[in-house]
Amino acid sequence: MRLCLQYSKEEEARFLSHLDLMRAMERALRRAQLPLVFSEGFNPHLCVSYASALAVGVTSEGEYLDLPLKGDWPAEEAVQRINAVLPAGLKMVAAVPVTQRRESLMAIINLARYRVEIPLRQAIEQKEAEEMIAQVLARPAYSVLRRGKKGERQVDIRPGLWQLQGWAENNKLILHIAVQTGSQGNVKPEEVIEMVKDTVSFSRGENFWGENIRIHRLGLYIRENDKIYSPLERA
Amino acid sequence: MPQLKQVLEEEVLPKVRKPLRYLGNEYNAVRKDWQAVKLRSLFAFPDVYEVGMSHLGLQILYGVVNAEPDYLMERVFAPWPDLEQELRTRAIPLFSLESLRPLADFDCLGFTLQYEMSYTNILNILALGGLPLRAQERGNEAPLVMAGGPCAYNPEPLAEFIDFFVLGEGEEVILEVFAVMAAHRAIRQGKQDKKEVLKELARIRGVYVPSFYEALYDEQGKFQGVKVKEPGAAPRIVKRVVRDLDQAYFPARPIVPYLEVVHDRMMLEVLRGCTRGCRFCQAGFLYRPVRERSKDLLLQQAEKISEHTGHQEISLTSLSTSDYTCVEPLLQEVLNRFEGKNIGVSLPSLRVDSFSVNLAKEVQRVRKTGLTFAPEAGTQRLRDVINKNVTEENLMEVAEAVFQEGWTQIKLYFMLGLPTETLADLDGIAALAAKVLLRGREILREKGSKQRPTVTVSVSSFVPKPHTPFQWEPQDSIALLQEKQKYLRNRIREKGIVYHYHEAEVSFLEAVFAKGDRRLGQALEEAWRLGCRFDGWSEHFRYELWREAFRKTGIVPEEIANQPLTYQDALPWDHLDTGVKKEYLRREREKAYELATTGDCRFAPCSVCGICQDLDVDTRLRKGE
Repeated sequence: MRLCLQYSKEEEARFLSHLDLMRAMERALRRAQLPLVFSEGFNPHLCVSYASALAVGVTSEGEYLDLPLKGDWPAEEAVQRINAVLPAGLKMVAAVPVTQRRESLMAIINLARYRVEIPLRQAIEQKEAEEMIAQVLARPAYSVLRRGKKGERQVDIRPGLWQLQGWAENNKLILHIAVQTGSQGNVKPEEVIEMVKDTVSFSRGENFWGENIRIHRLGLYIRENDKIYSPLERA
Repeated sequence: MPQLKQVLEEEVLPKVRKPLRYLGNEYNAVRKDWQAVKLRSLFAFPDVYEVGMSHLGLQILYGVVNAEPDYLMERVFAPWPDLEQELRTRAIPLFSLESLRPLADFDCLGFTLQYEMSYTNILNILALGGLPLRAQERGNEAPLVMAGGPCAYNPEPLAEFIDFFVLGEGEEVILEVFAVMAAHRAIRQGKQDKKEVLKELARIRGVYVPSFYEALYDEQGKFQGVKVKEPGAAPRIVKRVVRDLDQAYFPARPIVPYLEVVHDRMMLEVLRGCTRGCRFCQAGFLYRPVRERSKDLLLQQAEKISEHTGHQEISLTSLSTSDYTCVEPLLQEVLNRFEGKNIGVSLPSLRVDSFSVNLAKEVQRVRKTGLTFAPEAGTQRLRDVINKNVTEENLMEVAEAVFQEGWTQIKLYFMLGLPTETLADLDGIAALAAKVLLRGREILREKGSKQRPTVTVSVSSFVPKPHTPFQWEPQDSIALLQEKQKYLRNRIREKGIVYHYHEAEVSFLEAVFAKGDRRLGQALEEAWRLGCRFDGWSEHFRYELWREAFRKTGIVPEEIANQPLTYQDALPWDHLDTGVKKEYLRREREKAYELATTGDCRFAPCSVCGICQDLDVDTRLRKGE
C-alpha cells in the first residue's frame, strides 16, 4: 500500500535543508519499525517521494510525502509510530492511504501558499498596506533573475503569482501569497518578496525594510480548473 | 536564557553557513533540568561539530554521565570561524548546545585531546566562553577544566591551561571524578574551594593535577624532570583501564546528527587495544591490553543501536578489526540479521592480508571503488625496524585479491622519515606501488576488463610520539622531509599512480607538541593570539604565524622535534604511566636497530611490556566462547 502523509517542519527544524530533512526522515522511518519498501538493484534505497523541497530557514505546516509500505497499515497507527520517533521540529499531521492517484505528488502539486512576515522600520496603517499590495498587483509583469545550469535567465513571475494579500501588524507587513509551483511553472516566495520590496521601495525608500524576514509555508495544493484540493483529498 | 536563544535563532544562526552545527536538538540529545542535578558538566570537543560527532568517546561519556540522575552533560564544539566572528561582533559568549548556556555557568568542562593540532581551539573555546585561559587565573567560581584522551599522556604543553588531566579510559573514571566534585560542592552550598577540590581529585587513580608539580630546568634551560610540589601528590600517575569490555558502558542511544558528519553510521566497538607492536604507533602502546567484546553482546548492541538511531550502516570499529578472533562469525550474523533492513556493514581498517580482503568482500555487496592498506614502509628492512610485520608477499597477495575481486583502486599508506630510513627505502615505496599497479593491470586484462587500475600512494611524515619505542628519535627537519617528498614524487612516474603527501610543517608542529614540555604553553597562547585556529585544517593552517609565536616567546621548536634524546634525558612525560615499562620501550628500540621483530602477545609468547603485570589486567580474547 501507499500512504500519503502530511507533516510539518517547525521552528526547531527550520535550519534543515531538504537533504538534511530527507536524511532525518529516513532515519525516523527506520526507527518507526514500519515495513518499508526498498528499491531493487545493487544499491537499494528507501522508497519515499516528497512533494516539494523546502528551503533552509523556511517552516511549514503543509508538507507531504508518499510512503509505500509492505502490507496494509492503518494510517492512524503509522502516524503515531512515526511521531514517536521523529526528531524535534518534525511532526506528522495526518495520513490517508493512496487509492486513486497514480501520479507522484510532485507531478500533481501546482499551488503553494505562504505566510511571510517582513519587519518594517516604521509602523504603517492597514490602508497603507492595502495600497502597497494594490500597487504590486497592478504590475503587468515582473522579471527576476534565475541562475540555472545553463547560466542566468530572466523569468516573468507575474503570471505565476495567483494571489497576494497584505496586512499591517506591529511594525510588520504580513503577506499571504499563493503562487504556482511544480514543473509547469514555479514561483518562489523570495521572488514575490523581491517584487513587493522593489515596488514599494520606489515610494518608501530602501530604509523602510527591517531584517530577518520569516517565511512559512501554509500548504501545497492541487488546483484543477477553479477548484483547489489538498493532496490528502486527492489521494 | 530565552534572550540568548532568540538572538541566536533570529540573528546569528541565519548568518552562518551551517547552523545545524549549533542546534543541540538532535535525536537522542539529552536536555536535563538544570536545577534537578548536582553537577553540570560540558563536553568540549576542540574541533568542528562534524568531526566531534564522529567520535565514539564523546557518545560514550555523554551516555555514561547523562544516565546518572544527579549529573548532566552537555556539548560544545569549536565554533567555525563564521560563528566565532558573529559571537565576537555581538559580544555573545560561546554557549552549550543543549541549553544555550555560557561555558562559565557549568561546574566542569572536559576537553578531549585527540590531536595536537587542536590545541589552539581549546584556548579559543575557553576565551570565547569568557573564561581566563590560565588555570591559576580561574578562581573558585569558574568551572574546573579537565582533559583526557591520547594526548593527555604528555599534556605538559597544556599544563598551564587545564586544571587536571585524566589518564586512561574515561568511562572507567568519570563517575568517580564527578562524585568527588559533587560531594565537595554538596557540603559547601554548591560552591567550591578550588585548591581543596583538586587535592581531593588528585587522590583518584589516573588523575593528574599539573599545578601540584613543578618542572625543573638546569642553567642552560634543559629540562630536568618534574617534581612533586604539593605534599601528598603521587610521584607517578597511572592510567585507568576497563578490565572487561563486556562490562563497560556502551551507548545504546547515541545522538543522531542532522548534519552529515564524518562517520555517519553506528559504531560497534568490537575490541580495544592492539598488540601488533608497531614501534611508531602510540595507540598501540596506550590502549593495551587487547580486550575483545563477546560476539553475542555485540549483536545485542547492534540491535539496540539500530532501533534507536535508524542508521543505515554499522561500522565494526577498533584499532584493527580483522584481528578480532570472532570477526567472521560476527560479520556473518550481522549481515544476516540486518540485510533485510538494508543496513550495510563497514570495516574501518584492514590488515595487509588476503583474509582482510575476504572480509571486505563480504561486507561490500555494493562494489565500492577501492580499499586501503598500510604497509607503512617501502622495504622489508625498514618494516622490520618498525615491527610492521607485513611482507612484500603479503602485499602482493592483497593486491591480487583486490583486483581479482573486482575493485580497481587500491590505496597504500606509507610514512617518510622513519628511523634509519635511506633513499633505498623511498625507492622501495615507488617500486612497491609500481609492482602493485602492474599486477593490477595484468589481472584486469586477464579478466577482460576495460577499466584501468589506480594505486594511490599516500605518504605522511613520521612523528616521534611519547610512550613509544621511538620517543627518543628525532624527526627529520622540514627541509629534509620536503626533499624526500620531492624525491619520491620524481620516482613515481607511472600514470596509474596517484601520489599524495601531508604538509611537513604540520607534522613538525605535531612532533613539537607531542614531545614538548610546559614552556610550550607560552608559544601556544601566542599563536592563538596571533589568530591560529583549526591548525589541522589545511585551509586554516598558518605556519608563518606559528613561526612568529615561537620567535616572540623565545622557543626554538627544532630543539624539541629534531634533536635526538638519550636514555639519560628526563622526558616531560616520565611521571605519567601507561603501564608499559620504559625499559620495555628501550628494549624495543634497540631491537629496531638490530632489525629484530617482536611477536604479538596474542599469538606469540608474552614479551613482558609490563601492562598485565603492573595494572592487573589481561588480554581477553573471545575465540571459542
